Amino acid sequence: MGKVFIIAWREFLAIVATKAFILGLLLPPAIMTLLMFALPLLMNKKPPTVYGHIALIDQSGKVTPRLVDAYDPVKQKERKEQRDKAVQEQVAAGIKSMGVDDKTAGAIKQQMDANPAASQAANIVAETNLILQVLPPETPVEDARQAILKATGREKAEDGHAARLALLVIPKNAVEAEKEENGQPKFGAFQLLTAPRLNVEVQSDIRDQARRAIVDTRLTDAGQNVDRVRALMARPEVEEKAVTASGDSKINAAAKMLVPGAFMFLLWISVFSSGQYLLMSTIEEKSSRVMEVLLSAVSPLQLMLGKIIGKGAVGLLILALFSSAGVAALIFFAMADLIAWENLVLLFVYFIIAYVIVACLMASIGAAVNDINEAQTLMTPVMLILVVPMMLWFPILNNPNSTFAVVCSFVPLINPFVMVLRICGSEAIPMWQIPVSIVVGLATVVFMCWASAKIFRIGVLMYGKPPNFSTLIKWVRMA
Amino acid sequence: MSNAIEIRGVRKTFGSKVAVENLDLSVPEGSLYGFIGPNGAGKSTTIRMIMSIIFPDRGELRVLGKASAIESKDRIGYLPEERGVYKKMKVGVFLNYIARLKGIDAAAADKRVKEWLIRVGLQETYRKKCEELSKGMQQKVQFITSVIHEPDLLILDEVFTGLDPVNRRLMRELIQEQNDRGATIIFSTHAMREAEELCDNIFMIHKGVKVIDSSLEDVWRKYDPKIMVVEPISRTDLARGWSALPGVRAAEEKDGLIELSLHEGAEVGELMRQAAALAPVRRLEIKRASLEDIFISIVGAGGGETIEQLRMELAADKGADSQELAEVTRG
Repeated sequence: MGKVFIIAWREFLAIVATKAFILGLLLPPAIMTLLMFALPLLMNKKPPTVYGHIALIDQSGKVTPRLVDAYDPVKQKERKEQRDKAVQEQVAAGIKSMGVDDKTAGAIKQQMDANPAASQAANIVAETNLILQVLPPETPVEDARQAILKATGREKAEDGHAARLALLVIPKNAVEAEKEENGQPKFGAFQLLTAPRLNVEVQSDIRDQARRAIVDTRLTDAGQNVDRVRALMARPEVEEKAVTASGDSKINAAAKMLVPGAFMFLLWISVFSSGQYLLMSTIEEKSSRVMEVLLSAVSPLQLMLGKIIGKGAVGLLILALFSSAGVAALIFFAMADLIAWENLVLLFVYFIIAYVIVACLMASIGAAVNDINEAQTLMTPVMLILVVPMMLWFPILNNPNSTFAVVCSFVPLINPFVMVLRICGSEAIPMWQIPVSIVVGLATVVFMCWASAKIFRIGVLMYGKPPNFSTLIKWVRMA
Repeated sequence: MSNAIEIRGVRKTFGSKVAVENLDLSVPEGSLYGFIGPNGAGKSTTIRMIMSIIFPDRGELRVLGKASAIESKDRIGYLPEERGVYKKMKVGVFLNYIARLKGIDAAAADKRVKEWLIRVGLQETYRKKCEELSKGMQQKVQFITSVIHEPDLLILDEVFTGLDPVNRRLMRELIQEQNDRGATIIFSTHAMREAEELCDNIFMIHKGVKVIDSSLEDVWRKYDPKIMVVEPISRTDLARGWSALPGVRAAEEKDGLIELSLHEGAEVGELMRQAAALAPVRRLEIKRASLEDIFISIVGAGGGETIEQLRMELAADKGADSQELAEVTRG
């Protein structure tokens, strides 16, 4: 066994102690961190204040006072503050909706308030300094719109107030219904003409204010109390919770999809990259003819075992580094209850199963061929094993307990990936399926080890014409 | 004295091709045994079976008193025909790795690696990557991998290919040293001249069948061609009555030489005196058959091939050899 570990250690170091590997591991987190700091800084830059005129042709003659009020400078400032607050609340609600309890959500809010870069990330709402220009109701629309053409969308304080950014035309029938449909009043549309490059926020603000002014006018005309109606119309808040034995938990649809997906992807990446390393190193040993030198000291089985263990350790390192980084991030954002700790243990169990299967395939292929080009043709079945779980992601997550998903859990070769998706998903799966799938996986592992040991033993000494799959099967049957 | 290797009735086939047929071989401990034969004769197959890398279909094999080489891998040094190094690994690290795999503990391994690099004149390469070494240097590094653990049995498959004359000599010295230390040595080569110079015993194989297995002296005795070569100083003496000398069956002129075929039991000493008296000679010698000639005479007699074909086969080997040599000198 000692020799196996000497081989494993070399195989491990041959990958881990290279600049490429260290860079590959450090680069993604480094880029992420950079983005985390750079993005808020960029977003912190205040957008320029929008200056300009909004012209109003109020053909109904009733809406003007409400709009004048809405574009009073004090009201404009209030609205901007409200919007800022709304954005911050949305962020907080977003965090909260991912399943965080109120206490931690409060803690996050505190952190965000303490960290100006984070809180001011909300500072994407442009400040406005708009003046409502009320035109006589009989002004021809054609004349009024000419002035808009002069606007550039980047007016400054000095010259800005000369520019007309938008023209609102409110016809009489938008406020007073001229006809009825099914016994209810039917209103006409109003027009909003804007400069081609008007800030989207400003544009929607004008639209909203006009709508609101029109509706309020209608309500008042109908003898209703505007504030009361608005209170009645307020959207009811919703509180969604999933009932579990340990208490109700808040659920979030996005997180439900993301967390199992992330874990499967993690499994996939670590299995695939360590399998790839194994393939490359086996081919290297074969093409550089160092193979038989090694076989003078160890048996083919020892060599294969050592290589599988060594490269498996590389995969485990990748898995451990990335999953602990992920867990650390979730803890930092107080979302740790999204992961169940027993699932992490299962993740490692399924990693071992998936890895050994892929590693056996890679070792057999690497031993059978002379160079990487010849390996490509034999790789197709391996790629299939690796691609299928990716395609199954959505169907299985949408319905983790469908017959299809259950059957896939017991299909050798792909079942570790399927099970990771299912156990990390939100729907609980019958407990018996976990041990059964592990048994299926282990049986596959035993079979693969047996078959690949044979292929490996014969393949490592074969040079010349690369074998195809039927030859490989023949090797397995031989001796 | 017991035998380091015992092979009894071994047969090995690859598909329909018979690689080795009904092979018997005993290699005594401490001997220096040469496996010779052209490429594809079954030398490497035999060696791989001895090393338990492949297994015979039939027959029995004992290595160092055990049923399989696996049981005594750490006592065997093996330099395979197909050999290489990790290109990106440093020479010192590579040799340490192999030494560790051969069961030497980490501290002792590094000391031995350094000693051996000095012995073969490669001490400067300890920190170099293997790919920076020339083919001949790599060959020496590979040789170190086979002897670093001081094996009782050393098997060297085609050890001389790719070496320039200087390094061939060094290699012969190293092999002799190992033999003097007490190691049993088997080396295979298709260059029969190397075998003639080095080994005490010859194992000759052709198409998987053993054709000779005896000591080199016995080979000489058995395949004594009974030919005396005379080179007179003056070409005019070629026409003298050489065939009339005692014990001479026939005389034949060949490129300024006279070849005298002798009768069985001819008195060589007397013949030489008389030949020297007949005319002043530059050279007078009893011709010894080369292993190549012996090989051809044996195989040519039994096999379906013509002697020309066999000569070409061997010449082709030599060609490949000298080509490799050219590569080395270029490199």
